[in-house]
Amino acid sequence: MAHKRQSLSGESFLPNFCAIRMVFAVVIVAQLLSFLFALVPLRPGSDEQWSNLGLISLFVQWIALTSAALLCSLRRWLARLSQIQAGLLSYAILLGVIGAISEATFWVWQLSGAALDSSWHLHFLLRNLVAGAIISGLVLRYFYVQYQWKRNVQAESEARLQALQARIRPHFLFNSMNTIASLTRSQPDQAEGAVEDLADLFRMSLSDARKLITLEEELALCQRYLHIEGLRLGERLAISCETEALPGDALVPPLILQPLVENAVYHGIEPRAQGGRVEISGARKGSQLTITIRNPLPPSSEGGRARNGNRIAQDNVRERLAAHYGPDGRLELSMENDHYDVTMTLPYRTQQDEGSNR
Amino acid sequence: MKVLIVDDEKPARERLRHLIEDLNLGEVVGEASNGREALAETDRAHPDILLLDIRMPEMDGLEAAAHVSKLENPPAVIFTTAYNDYALQAFEQQAVDYLLKPVRRERLERALTAAKRLTRVQLSALRDNEQGGRTHLSARIHGSVRLVPIEEVRFLQAAHKYVTVNFADGEVLVEDSLKALEEEFGDRFVRIHRNALAAKIWLESLERTGMGGYCVRLRGCESCLEVSRRHLAGVRRLMRR
Repeated sequence: MAHKRQSLSGESFLPNFCAIRMVFAVVIVAQLLSFLFALVPLRPGSDEQWSNLGLISLFVQWIALTSAALLCSLRRWLARLSQIQAGLLSYAILLGVIGAISEATFWVWQLSGAALDSSWHLHFLLRNLVAGAIISGLVLRYFYVQYQWKRNVQAESEARLQALQARIRPHFLFNSMNTIASLTRSQPDQAEGAVEDLADLFRMSLSDARKLITLEEELALCQRYLHIEGLRLGERLAISCETEALPGDALVPPLILQPLVENAVYHGIEPRAQGGRVEISGARKGSQLTITIRNPLPPSSEGGRARNGNRIAQDNVRERLAAHYGPDGRLELSMENDHYDVTMTLPYRTQQDEGSNR
Repeated sequence: MKVLIVDDEKPARERLRHLIEDLNLGEVVGEASNGREALAETDRAHPDILLLDIRMPEMDGLEAAAHVSKLENPPAVIFTTAYNDYALQAFEQQAVDYLLKPVRRERLERALTAAKRLTRVQLSALRDNEQGGRTHLSARIHGSVRLVPIEEVRFLQAAHKYVTVNFADGEVLVEDSLKALEEEFGDRFVRIHRNALAAKIWLESLERTGMGGYCVRLRGCESCLEVSRRHLAGVRRLMRR
């Protein structure tokens, strides 16, 4: 996605005329314009123009395709100019093409023996240039507005993604610091490990939210998080992880699972004096992955507080899933007698899929 | 100076213990990992100061402090907390001492030397900031604190200055007013009479008395509690569910 953005900001507002789809669009629009010219005869009552549709089409297509070819070949060069320069230059190119082809047409007619005087010549040239100037102006204006709109939409969705960036709870940071302060004295090795884990987690939470990471990396981050919490909570925190069925190369937004694991610890384990087990399990059905995080229910008195805090992290994850996967990314919650399940469903996409989408 | 360290996390307790030993300011007489244990340890070791973590399972630090304050000679309390567990502003406003984790040595030293007892006003102001009510009611019995888990309470009945708490193992008197208790535990209890609240989960049946009135029976209770005319509709609505 970062790559996409770069190419857009470095790109002029003109679309890529080298693309087959664009060439096709040019042909269609030129043909529609030809119909328009044929429909609006210069002298009312004469249907002379209709019979000239073939010639008009040939003329307009010739101009349109030549312009497209020129803009295509000058594309790289135009991209280096400012938007205004590129706009004026392409306008000049279009008018130049119209003028040149009108002139050529006139000479072809004259050589083929048609008796055309010089006033007709001037009239023909001027008429084509004025019509061309209006239409080219409209077309360029359309491209510019469309480009602006596209840029706004993209900027908005990026801002939204960035605002949704997963943030690790400050509560966790300070508790971990406290644990490390304690371990530094009694078990320096463990303190060292905890600092490394903490650094990895925060590096990820500060990194670009739009860059995807592999599921393997995400699961490793969850493990680091659980390792730190294990130091703090001791025997109260038991962990089981059955994620062998999940493909490690699946791409996911960074820290999409960790907040859910953190919720499980914060609301499921910490309020229980006897602790409990956080279970992470995963399954793959075709191109669909499901990951479930289960924790024991907190004692009832914690209920009100728990649900509140839960929702913030869950809403964040849900919105990020929607932003990345649309309707294919979901989060489902279920509560049974003694445990709470959060199940995430997401499509299996790898680096290759992402590449071919571009 | 005898200090009791209360925190549900072992590394946190260890660190405080080390710091106190280094400072040579007091003697750690015990450790507890939740509010309930803290009360038991307080009963056993009679500390002068409690270093009390706020977020703990079973019973949190604020509630433990409230129960402890009922002792005849309550220990001074210093709260310890990580980031934004509770509105720190409330602590400042109430001039209650608190330490942010990880605790600084100098800060701990200052807190220990200046430790003071909490007043009830301070405590109730702090508790107002917290969501949800207490998990236990407490009564003072022979110099120690008797705790009654709120879910075991069958009914609360006001008489003179006190409120009788009827629960699985008997009855105790608490000093809270019935009105305050109703406000705190409104979703657990239903008002059945001007002077009584009954626990919704223990409601069994609504019966007619000889004199044309009504009374409710609670599971595990022998007597039938009078329901006043004014509160009859509310009780009926509950029973129908």
